[in-house]
Amino acid sequence: MDKAIIKLEEGTTCTAWNYSGHRLAAGSTDGTLFVFDSTDPASSVFSGSSKFKVHESSIVKVVWAPPEYGDVVACICADGSLLLWEEVVEDSELLQWKLCKCFDRISSLVLDVQFGVSQTSLKLVAAYSDGQVKVFELLDPFELKNWQLQAEFQNVIESVSKFGNVSCRSASIAWNPLKGEIQQSSFVLGFDSDTPHLNSSKVWEFDQDHQRWLPVAELALPADKADPVSTVAWAPNIGRPYELIAVATCKEIALWHVGSNPDSDGRLSVEKVAMLSTHDSEVWQMEWDMSGMTLATTGSDGVVRLWQCNLNGVWHEQATLQPTS
Amino acid sequence: MPGLTSEPDDLAMVPVSLETENQPVVNYPLRHGLKSPIHRLSFSWACGNTLRVSVFRKPQSETADGEGEAGGRVVEVKLSNSGDEEVDAARWRRMAYSSVTPFALLQSRKHSLSAASRMSLDIPPYKAEWWEHVIEYSKEISSLLSDQKPPPKSIIEDAKSVVNEIAAPVCLKAAWELLEIFYIDKQSQSWIPERLLDWLADYNSLFSGTLPTIHSKLVDFQQELVGVQVVEDDPNYWDAMSSALAVGWLETVVKLLRLHGSYRFDQLSSREAVYLFYRVPKSITLCVFCLRDLTTGCTAMSDDKVDFLVLFVSHCSSLASKNGLVEAVAVLISKMPRMRPSLREDNLGECYKTKPDFMKAWEKWRTQISKLDCSSYWLQCDHRQTREGLKNLIQIMLGNPTVLSNATFNWMELFISHFLYVRPFTAGLESMHNSAKKCMQVKPASIPHKLFGLILGILGENTEVVLAECSRSFGPWMMAHAVELLTAGSTHAEILLHEEHSKLGGVSIEELHRLVYAQVLSSHALTWQIAPIYLTSCIKQGIRLLENLLYKQPVQHSQILLKSIEICRLYELDTINSNIMRIAGVHHWKHGRKGSGVFWLQQARDEFRLNRIAKQLFDFVGKSVSDEGFKQWEGLIELLGSESRTAGGLEFLNKYRDFRRSLLQVHGDTPTDAARNAAEALVSLMKNPSTPQRFWLPLLYDSLKLLMWQERPLVNVSQTQLLLNKLQELSMARLRPDFVEADLPSDALSSVRLALATNLGRAILEE
Repeated sequence: MDKAIIKLEEGTTCTAWNYSGHRLAAGSTDGTLFVFDSTDPASSVFSGSSKFKVHESSIVKVVWAPPEYGDVVACICADGSLLLWEEVVEDSELLQWKLCKCFDRISSLVLDVQFGVSQTSLKLVAAYSDGQVKVFELLDPFELKNWQLQAEFQNVIESVSKFGNVSCRSASIAWNPLKGEIQQSSFVLGFDSDTPHLNSSKVWEFDQDHQRWLPVAELALPADKADPVSTVAWAPNIGRPYELIAVATCKEIALWHVGSNPDSDGRLSVEKVAMLSTHDSEVWQMEWDMSGMTLATTGSDGVVRLWQCNLNGVWHEQATLQPTS
Repeated sequence: MPGLTSEPDDLAMVPVSLETENQPVVNYPLRHGLKSPIHRLSFSWACGNTLRVSVFRKPQSETADGEGEAGGRVVEVKLSNSGDEEVDAARWRRMAYSSVTPFALLQSRKHSLSAASRMSLDIPPYKAEWWEHVIEYSKEISSLLSDQKPPPKSIIEDAKSVVNEIAAPVCLKAAWELLEIFYIDKQSQSWIPERLLDWLADYNSLFSGTLPTIHSKLVDFQQELVGVQVVEDDPNYWDAMSSALAVGWLETVVKLLRLHGSYRFDQLSSREAVYLFYRVPKSITLCVFCLRDLTTGCTAMSDDKVDFLVLFVSHCSSLASKNGLVEAVAVLISKMPRMRPSLREDNLGECYKTKPDFMKAWEKWRTQISKLDCSSYWLQCDHRQTREGLKNLIQIMLGNPTVLSNATFNWMELFISHFLYVRPFTAGLESMHNSAKKCMQVKPASIPHKLFGLILGILGENTEVVLAECSRSFGPWMMAHAVELLTAGSTHAEILLHEEHSKLGGVSIEELHRLVYAQVLSSHALTWQIAPIYLTSCIKQGIRLLENLLYKQPVQHSQILLKSIEICRLYELDTINSNIMRIAGVHHWKHGRKGSGVFWLQQARDEFRLNRIAKQLFDFVGKSVSDEGFKQWEGLIELLGSESRTAGGLEFLNKYRDFRRSLLQVHGDTPTDAARNAAEALVSLMKNPSTPQRFWLPLLYDSLKLLMWQERPLVNVSQTQLLLNKLQELSMARLRPDFVEADLPSDALSSVRLALATNLGRAILEE
């Protein structure tokens, strides 16, 4: 059932598929981005369609913007810069990839970035190595160079004084994948930093009335709050009365149910429903399938694991995909 | 590689079993073909159950042996295939497509019946009707499960052909038929053992791969038969017959018996034989001929005549003893009473529809066998193999457990033989289950076949086991379709399958299986289009999953876009419909196909983006553009049209287009009327509050030739004053910091002012 479909260039460091799985962007150590396309939607045959230099330093992560905004990728580079590239026809020229935005880099590095679609605008959350979180907003859907900083905050649930001199190794952001006209924008964010308060995953929701971002849930038991978070994943919800979020720490992968109705403090109820063993390895990536019923994870152990829940609500490892030459 | 399964089973894994936590983790190989060590993996879910894994090699600086090798590979893993490895992809897709119509029809009938009966299908008239629908559905699905055709019948029948080869039998059909027998076909409830017997006759060859079976034994014997001269001397001949008889393949046994040496001098025609039977009954040889014709022709032979035959054989002379015994056994076999409404074509036996009739006939038949068994004539039969072989056949018919056990090769065959000869009056699943368990103890299967698990689940009336076996062995297609049979046929199953599980987000098992099947369909570009049929039958979670599926379609391909829109319209998914069209619109716009872009954005009713496009069109205002450019611009204004009224600025753009168009028509030699129209358009534009201030000066500058029209002033006094006022307002606005200077020659303002002043003078004079 396994079939090699694309040969990646020497020095490829990361890959990202677009929304439909018909385009792949692959970043490499020399800052070049390769784009592979399938010409026929019915086949898994891909060929390289573009190759261009994004930046001087190595690309460490590529993220596609939602298709409602065209073919746009955000590239995080090893020097901490964040760039947006767009494939577009301008002024009767041929279709080509163009740099549309290079976010100013002051002193901290960009660790993770994710796009989220709200009613009228595109939002971009970026987590930085100094523990800051910035939310940018795109005002004109056709002008990808004009981003407005909507908010800037730290990943803390209590409004205490700001933590200085923070150093973060990694961060992970996941938007609520629900698409619909009524849903509030929300995302979950966790850090791997030297500041315990910042680490635990928190769910942030945009308060439309007051135009601000509020932490509405913390996904960590009191004893585990300082555990560095390596990655988070928010499951698509196709009809559950609660949200399902996976949080990977150094100890385990925890699955959380998050209620939808806030209490009087504006907090959502949370329940840790499963602890999945990481097999003593670091988890680097987690992703839910389109139904939100299967969680795939991978990490330093070099295998992909698939997890599912049985009728008793018990989560278990269902399958392992093991690389073999 | 140790620990890896060579043939990955299907991974459309639904948690139907309660014991999944104890199940071993399935290992799948991920063959990437890279020689160098792997640095790391990353993956992404594609549509459905397809996972794409990027395998990155260690950077070259760290490893010397990776010279010239690719930096990595992307491997696509389809986690769910057809669910049955014996069905290839194309055939599976055919099956998936053909099962859509019966499924959709049944669902629509369910809806209309539920509506008519106010949600309960248990009320008698509706129940009966529903039952009819389910039976029809089951038959249709069953018929599409095998596209096998019956082997062509040869004109001259091969006398030595004892086994009919079924073309590519599939376990899926065998399993479906089992469910049909036990859950749906209520009319056959009284003769389930006979149906199982038919079932085993049809599918015995399926077990041959993993187990010793009677079918494989007969196939072997048939090959051997071609070279055998005196068949009755061959012990395999007798073994084959006893095995076939044990599982009720009567026609095979009778056919084999006919190969016995005692039939070799057949010369008379059947008519003579019949005649002779009545007239010269004491001629043994002739009697045998006659009986043969009667039995092979399946003509009715009264019990009296069978009795007579047995009696006759018992007293016949030694010369023909063998012949008579063989024929007597053949006749008894072909007269076996069967508790069933009718026989299949070419099958032997006598049918009885009611139990009392059957019991009576059975007793009588057994008495006849016993009589023959006890006949002293056996002692005179001098051919040992014939004597022992026939005795063995009689022991089978008398239900001797040891002989039955020796004649069968697996518990299922033994189970069937018990129905036929040991407990012919077995009824009820419980007693069948007990009997099955006993047979399993006698003949335990070292490698249990997947169909056995299903049978045991059904006999044990354990819906969970049936579901788990179906899911594990036959995959998501089976689960999505067979659930209808289970819920219709068993109250327990219905409760179990319709119960909502809070631990799974409130979804029922029935729905869960459909969701899983829909995901399998979604994994392939050729089958995703039928997934909506199954998803929309799921009330709880189907629609959202359908939306997710539609959102993931590559809508830049127009065929896919149109198909997606069609699905959205059919199921009234307006939000996702707009979204799809928006994605298409933006894609076209950004790829330079502005017209298509605007069209799709309009279809999506995306006023927000259309507004932005309108704003971009403003850039043309006041610019001297080429004719081509203006045409393009004009076309877009046309497309944006008057439909999107809320699009701010569109009113201005439309007015501007009219003005621009009339201005283009104005030349030196144009009649004054045309020029006057242009001037009117200008004044109207300048009056209109929707005209942005930044365009005032460019508009006036463009209209210089109108303001300085040679023939006569085109703008009257009050109009000129209005324009002058606007100019004054503009001068005030220039003092503000956010004022944007129009891209015009530096003398533009003074030229306009001069023209307006001149015009005012001329207009006053004229008035």
